[in-house]
Amino acid sequence: MVSLVQSTDLSFVLRRNLLFVHGKGGVGKTVVSQTIATALSRQNLKTLWITLEDPTCPMGELRLLSPSLWHLNCGFLPAFEEYLTLKIGGGPMSRFFLQNKLIRYLAKAAPGIHELILLGKIWFERLHYSHLVIDLPSTGYSLAMFQSTQNFSQLFQGGPLNQDAQAMLTTFKDPQTTGHLILALPEEMPLKEALELHGYLTPLFPDNPPAFLVNRVFPTEENHPKPILWTTPLATSMEDYIHKRIWLEDQNLKIWKDQNLKFGKLDFIPPQVKPNHSSGILEVLIQQLHDRAYL
Amino acid sequence: MTCAIDKILSQRKILITCGTGGVGKTTISAALAIRATLLGKKTAVITIDPAKRLATSLGLQTLGDHPTDLTDTIHQSYANWKLNHLPSSEDANLGKKRGSLVAITPHTRHSFENFVRELATHPATVERILRNPIFQIFSREFSGTNEYMALERLFSLEKQGQYDCIILDTPPSRNTLAFLDAPKLLAQFFEERLIRWLILPTNKLVSAGMRKTLGMLEKLTGAGFMTSLVDFATALFEVQVKFQANLKKVTALLGSQQVGFLMVSTLTPDSKAEVEHFIQSLKNHHFHLDGLLINRTLSYLKESKQDSSYPTAHRLIQALQAQEKEVLTNLMQNPIPVCATLPELARDVHSVEDLIHVAMALGETPFGTLPLGEHSPSERPHPSK
Repeated sequence: MVSLVQSTDLSFVLRRNLLFVHGKGGVGKTVVSQTIATALSRQNLKTLWITLEDPTCPMGELRLLSPSLWHLNCGFLPAFEEYLTLKIGGGPMSRFFLQNKLIRYLAKAAPGIHELILLGKIWFERLHYSHLVIDLPSTGYSLAMFQSTQNFSQLFQGGPLNQDAQAMLTTFKDPQTTGHLILALPEEMPLKEALELHGYLTPLFPDNPPAFLVNRVFPTEENHPKPILWTTPLATSMEDYIHKRIWLEDQNLKIWKDQNLKFGKLDFIPPQVKPNHSSGILEVLIQQLHDRAYL
Repeated sequence: MTCAIDKILSQRKILITCGTGGVGKTTISAALAIRATLLGKKTAVITIDPAKRLATSLGLQTLGDHPTDLTDTIHQSYANWKLNHLPSSEDANLGKKRGSLVAITPHTRHSFENFVRELATHPATVERILRNPIFQIFSREFSGTNEYMALERLFSLEKQGQYDCIILDTPPSRNTLAFLDAPKLLAQFFEERLIRWLILPTNKLVSAGMRKTLGMLEKLTGAGFMTSLVDFATALFEVQVKFQANLKKVTALLGSQQVGFLMVSTLTPDSKAEVEHFIQSLKNHHFHLDGLLINRTLSYLKESKQDSSYPTAHRLIQALQAQEKEVLTNLMQNPIPVCATLPELARDVHSVEDLIHVAMALGETPFGTLPLGEHSPSERPHPSK
């Protein structure tokens, strides 16, 4: 049976020059994108992990995290300045333009410009690294990033902004350079939402189908029977919760398997003891990427 | 005995639930609305979530811009629930008076057009705005539109006076503050002085600097964009006075005693920073925080005496429970009013009957948030035991 949903093998997508990590809020995009970036950098590949406007990090600062691994928290204003410097030259001219209140107003208020500039920064950085892994904002906003770049650039007919936007989108559509990864959780609604997201991405990148990765898969056991009592959505005990959770996850993922949908899996990693909380999880996940031949 | 959440529901006319994606805002909003209905209120629940989660959790295929009446289902489901459960003393007030419930999921684009129609006095201006290519993209994509339209809808529902309890489920966003910042963001667009610059004929521009800037902008964006922009600005100029007045009213409503904010959060290592940041921002806006709803907690899961058939999963849950406890302890170092702690569900919510279970859990005393003495009474709307 051929799957109705076009998807690509995870191992192909993860090795592309640009990797966009899509998904709804709370599915673990930040940790997974950092894991992939770290794993790539350990293969001696110069890698940049990008977060977009993360309020907990300084904007526009490039940090070396470990050998071959850099992190950039892309911010609008630094990226906008950089873009203008490229287009109209550095020095007093671009500073004058940037400081103009009307320009600041348009940059803030006009939909699309913000997104265009952030994506432009990513596009530009691709030339300096062998791999870029991008932790996108949650679904609604990240879709708008691509859609509005496409739509808004049509307004700039004839200008260099339009040309750059078109060139960017060509790169993002190209399966040779760019990979799109949809991250999901093995629960009913998140899985449905991942397919919905796929539906929105397809018209944007028709020849570049995404790969799916299901995160936080519960440790399963062989041959567990179907739980009997389902009258309340609450669990009656820890055993009941685990039993139902495992069974439901299996059912949910079975729907994907029955559709011949290709997807990778990462286990639910128990929270680790401080102080190495996050690095501990990262190491376990990197090991899983290797063991399952995703990377 | 009245529980914290019922007190809040009786004090406020409007409750706004905020929180990052995946914390269960929509389910909780629906459960709050059910509780309000059972308290006898004429209730409306509004959600902007494009993912149709509200419809699914209510057991419906779709919900629309027009209010969907759920009153009968609610009362029927509560009656069914009571067949198998004994309401606790906290729930004694429920079901005494017959309240009503409607659910609304506004169509954003549609509302934005109506909004423009309402603002503009001349039909020609309306047409001019709606036909402008910048507006067409703006109404679809401006990241604050959903949020702002939700507020507009809230405002007009409040004005109609049909409902005495309105629950607003804010759009999903990666940070809880996006919702609070939306009006300000949109207001920037209508800033009078800036629009004025755009609509002045070039030869009348007083400053040579502005003339030069516009020239550079045109070079970057192309001539077509500048024409559309000037056209858009001219139309905006006609509606901006009315918009500013509207915005003032909406902002005043949000800051009034009628409106309370509830933050929904799970207990993860990031929670403390998020919750504190949100509380601070509410303070800065002079909005009222009614409390924190902690969702998806695992602590209620009791271990059984026999050995587990799922040892690995068992250890995972125990580790998660330990983390939860630690996060909660850290969170409670500052006095934060927790009005409910809700359990992680064993399956998705698919019907009003399912939601009744969540609505009942809202009435239970929150665990792990003691000692009460450390919270000043004004900050903690929690009943004394």
